Amino acid sequence: MPEVVVSIGPHHPALKEPVNFKVIADGEKIVRLELDLSYNHRGIEKAAEQRDFVRVLPLMERVCGICSHAHSTAFAKGIEEIMQLEIPPRAQYIRTIIAELERMHSHLLWLGVAAHLIGFNTLFMWTWRDREAVQDTVEEMSGNRVHYGMNEVGGVRRDLTPAQVTAALERLPNLEERVNKYVDMVNNEETMLLRFRGVGKLSKEEALRYGTVGPTARASGIDYDTRKDDPYLAYADAPWNVVTDTQGDVYGRTRVRVWEVQESLKIVRYCLENLPEGPIRVPAPKNAPKGEILSRYEAPRGELVHFIRTNGTDKVERVDIRTPTLANWTSVAMCLVNQNLADLPVIVAAIDPCLSCTSRITLLDNQTKKTGVITLDELIRRSRSRDLGQV
Amino acid sequence: MAVPAAGLSQRLVNWARMKSPWITIFNSGACNACDIEIIACLMPRFDVERFGILVKGSPRHADILIVTGPVTLKQASRLRRVWEQIPEPKYVIAMGACGAAGGAFYGLYHVMDCVDCVIPVDVYVAGCPPRPDEIINAVVTCLNLLHEDVAHGGKEWRQKKAVPFTGTDTTTCRVMP
Amino acid sequence: MTGPLTLDVVAGKMKEFGISEQVRRNRIRITTTPDKVHETIRTVQAILGFDRLITISAVDNSRTFELVFHLTGPHRMVISIAVELSHDLPAITTVSDILPPAAIYERQIHDLFGIVFTGNTNLNRIMLNEDWPADEYPLRKDWKPGPDTFYGGIKVERS
Repeated sequence: MPEVVVSIGPHHPALKEPVNFKVIADGEKIVRLELDLSYNHRGIEKAAEQRDFVRVLPLMERVCGICSHAHSTAFAKGIEEIMQLEIPPRAQYIRTIIAELERMHSHLLWLGVAAHLIGFNTLFMWTWRDREAVQDTVEEMSGNRVHYGMNEVGGVRRDLTPAQVTAALERLPNLEERVNKYVDMVNNEETMLLRFRGVGKLSKEEALRYGTVGPTARASGIDYDTRKDDPYLAYADAPWNVVTDTQGDVYGRTRVRVWEVQESLKIVRYCLENLPEGPIRVPAPKNAPKGEILSRYEAPRGELVHFIRTNGTDKVERVDIRTPTLANWTSVAMCLVNQNLADLPVIVAAIDPCLSCTSRITLLDNQTKKTGVITLDELIRRSRSRDLGQV
Repeated sequence: MAVPAAGLSQRLVNWARMKSPWITIFNSGACNACDIEIIACLMPRFDVERFGILVKGSPRHADILIVTGPVTLKQASRLRRVWEQIPEPKYVIAMGACGAAGGAFYGLYHVMDCVDCVIPVDVYVAGCPPRPDEIINAVVTCLNLLHEDVAHGGKEWRQKKAVPFTGTDTTTCRVMP
Repeated sequence: MTGPLTLDVVAGKMKEFGISEQVRRNRIRITTTPDKVHETIRTVQAILGFDRLITISAVDNSRTFELVFHLTGPHRMVISIAVELSHDLPAITTVSDILPPAAIYERQIHDLFGIVFTGNTNLNRIMLNEDWPADEYPLRKDWKPGPDTFYGGIKVERS
């Protein structure tokens, strides 16, 4: 039986891969999973020690292009807590609005990509078109579709004008209607049910044991959500619920993410309607006192942790970033064992890997006999044709 | 060098290339904002597929290579290999601030900082990330370049002449002072 | 677990492992020694109900390395177990046998700092490329890139 190694490249599994790679597997079954993150490693943590607080925030934003506000807010709020700064309520609300808009755009992006992997390109096109409404709103507020640059230590850099608030509120009903359609689709659409159900199942005990975070954990019934466990920004004021599901498979994770978009819409609406008046920043000192902080933030993919140590200067001594995708890799490795090769793209995509947080997975078998060559296009094609009985 | 008048089949090929350029993307360690913006070009809002622009997985099918990210040390040789596999005439678009000079990651210890050291670049797009409109503009610029290159009989007319260099410019790995 | 997890409860139960202090409304920090770390983590899992590892952070304090293990549990408190290692031969027993997610964090720390986690069989390269020289650890404070060392990438020659 020829054995194959699949190297899945530094892209999101949905994007088509360049060049060739060897495939080694034991027939159709996956044996083990290895991880290699050096494709995207840039050395950001070392560079952050040499940039002061104004210059380091753009660097923090660019750790990841999909959850950029997450990284910059986690860092900024950590430094503010070390400096014992209370940022004004208006700034908290603005940060929350941008954070939830980011969560919505990320989940809609993910939904499209997951649909693309099973061949459901219509949903891919629909979700990304609806995502543009979120991008337009963010562009009006911040000036850029990605990498908003809203944060500074001490508050936010830009205010929201009443016209922007009205325009954002006007876009929400259409988005709510579209999201309700997606919830309906996820509950009833046959293609999705067949391809996602039972795939990549993670029980509650396993999810806890492997340190899973985010929608992946919440789909297994664990109700950890940093926004409720360790409230920050305006999450304690806005009325919303933690979304959990009991299925634990890719279907459950899809449901959790779509419902979370609905919850995010509620939070954005509340914050836009109840935006408090007042200043948007407080003057921050140049240097931060000596201290240590564990800044936790609920990024779209899960709990993001910045461990920051300061030393009395205007630069950090150490910033240690633990991304949610890294926390979820252990569970992916475990739940991929003995699954079919064709389910690989779907299971990996189900934890919503953030490309720049993690990059390459190599599947290795410990007993190689023969090697064959297969491309990821082939694998995705196999993945799509699985429920038609072909391989 | 006198350019012979192009025959019918050559003119047909040139027309096909200009009317339907196929693209391949190479992510050389980016934060992925640029990649998402490229995919957004294919989506109903900007919809470049109606222009015949397709994103292909294999470099052997592509006319244009789009490089995102500051080239990390790990990806440098792979980028070179991918570029070598693209058949002529090929064009390279280096996206964003990272493609120009490393962007926010200039000077970090695991990046090479310039796409230009690894492969010759034809078009730079500014932005972090560039908007889909700007990306489409870059592809159109490439097509204009193709048009001009066909008229001049190749790319040599616009490539810089090799300048004598007194040493080996190896990958430098530096940390900002 | 009856009652809220307060500093007194934690300090009382963890007395033999080290000193506890409340550093934040929901975070308690215990400073302990390298040989007691495994035991400490087992105790907080068993007695105090911390069932999830958040992360393992490493800091270079110029003369020592400091490792901090952060755990949380259903009571939503966070405990940080801090330990200092010597700069010359930093080594500590792995905790990945009692906390499976620790394996990947230990691998990352080993790659960037050079701290050895004895018992962890998979301390291969994860963050740095395969051409990176074997005993250079970029996140150490005293590391500077050597002008003639090859760190990976490709050599570019111009003629």
